Formats: sequence, C-alpha cells, structure tokens
Amino acid sequence: MVMAGHDTVREESPYGIQHKKLGIWLFILSDAVTFASILFAYGYVRVGSPDWTRPFEFSPTIANGMVMTLILLTSSVTMLGAFEAAKLANKSRCLAWLGATMLLGVLFAALHIREWLRMIEEGWRLFQNPLGGPALFGATFFSITGLHLTHVVAGVVAIGVVAVKFNRGRMDAGHVETVGLYWHFVDVVWMFVFPLVYLMNAK
Amino acid sequence: MAGTEAKGGMGMKSYWAIWIGLLCIVGIEVFLTYRHWSPHRLLLFLLIFAFIEASIAVMFFMHLKDERPSLFWSLVPALLFVLFMMDHFWPDALRLEHLRVVHW
Repeated sequence: MVMAGHDTVREESPYGIQHKKLGIWLFILSDAVTFASILFAYGYVRVGSPDWTRPFEFSPTIANGMVMTLILLTSSVTMLGAFEAAKLANKSRCLAWLGATMLLGVLFAALHIREWLRMIEEGWRLFQNPLGGPALFGATFFSITGLHLTHVVAGVVAIGVVAVKFNRGRMDAGHVETVGLYWHFVDVVWMFVFPLVYLMNAK
Repeated sequence: MAGTEAKGGMGMKSYWAIWIGLLCIVGIEVFLTYRHWSPHRLLLFLLIFAFIEASIAVMFFMHLKDERPSLFWSLVPALLFVLFMMDHFWPDALRLEHLRVVHW
C-alpha cells in the first residue's frame, strides 16, 4: 500500500510491474495465440494435403533463412544492450544499441522481401503453385511470413519512436524494456516459423 | 513502482552466451532436417527444439524468470491451455488422410 495525498490509497500491482509492461505482456499473450492459430491452420492443411509441396533448396532458401535467424537473434541481444544502457541512464550507448537493433530489423525485412520477390518471380502466388502441388502452400507461406514481417516492420517503427523520445527525455528505461519485450516476442515467433514453414518444406 | 521492476541484470556476456546456445539449437534443427526422417518424427523434434528455444528466450531475454511468480502463473498456463485446446483439431486433419481418393 502506498499513501499518496491526504485520502488516496494506491494499491500496488500484484505483479509488481508498470501498467505498460503488463499491457505488452497481455498483448504478447494474445498475439501468441494469433500466431499459434495460423500455424495450426497451416499444419492442418499440410497434413490434409496428400501431395504437399516441399520446394525449398538448401541454397538459397534455407541458407537465407539461417542468416535471417542469425540477424533476428543478434537483434534481440542488441535490444538487451539498449535496455542495460537505459537502466544505467547511458543515453548515447542506449541509442547506439537501439540503432543497431533497427538496422538489423531492416536487414531482416530486406532479406525477407528479397526471398518473396524471388519466389514471386518463380510463379508463386497466394493461390498459385508453379510446381503443380496444392495452391494452399502459397497461401500459408505468404500469410504466415507476411504476418511476421508486418510485426518486424512495426517493431522497427516502434523502436524508432522510443529512441527519439528517449533521446528527448520523454521516455525512460521502462519504455525501452517494453518495446524490447515486443521485439523479443517477434524473435520467439520466428523460432517457430523457421522450423515449421522453412525446414519442414526443405527438399 | 520502479523499485519492484524485474532487475534482469545478467550482463551482456551472459546474453551473448545464451545467443550462442540459441544459434547452436538452430544448427541442430537444420542438421536434423537433412537426416531424411519421416515428416512426423522431424516435426516432433523441431517442435521440441523450438519450444526449448522459445522458453530460453522468454525466461532470459524477456526476463520472465526475474518477475514475480504471479506474472508467470497468469500468463504461461493460459497460453498452454489454449495451445492444448487447439490440439483437438488434429484428429480431423489426420482423418483427411483416410478420405483421399485412391487411384487403382
């Protein structure tokens, strides 16, 4: 219990965290269910399709996916660096780590879009399979990776906003941690997308 | 309130060590992919490693291990329950295998 003013009694959160942090955890919980649903739907049509396509060669697709995984995992560590620096009120170091995280996020998105363009050039569409297998392959691949890519782009923008406001002193370490939680979640989702969507469809 | 926040002060060396561990798991996943196992067996092992990876990231990168247990018990069982309930659809997907048209 915290007494504030004359007659106001504020009760401490049972979780001992700030509202924004609890909010992002609840968002992550709901978003995890969203991704789980779409991955389950993918698993459903994959199991139910007798001639499911497995088009991905080690080079370039799987190798590209490994590089993307490396980039995203590294960006999680740079995000942690930003939070550690923010806790120490080291503004310049925090901004440097946030900048590195954004750069890695942009690089991840660029590699992802390059992969998409290569597949589209080969004839892959949302409902078109150039190899003659189920058209649902394109639908599931582009939907799952597209939803994840949207989260990456949104994360880069959110980190940019926090970086600018942190630099101006309008946001603190708690905000850096909150946007960091979102960014780590994007990384966690990729830990399921890469094996289930890429590796399970390797030739 | 700030004083009750999770500390999460493992230090960058620890984070980089975890990063190496996670990369090793990804390497194992790719290695297993080219062992030419049956899809069901491969899926099982890839899911196990994905859950291990995700657990490590959530506990150490997202600092859930440093939060109060109440947060863990509010979030994780709810998510696991939803994932468990989704599993009830698998028998229907597997049923489709037996409904396929067989050409004699």
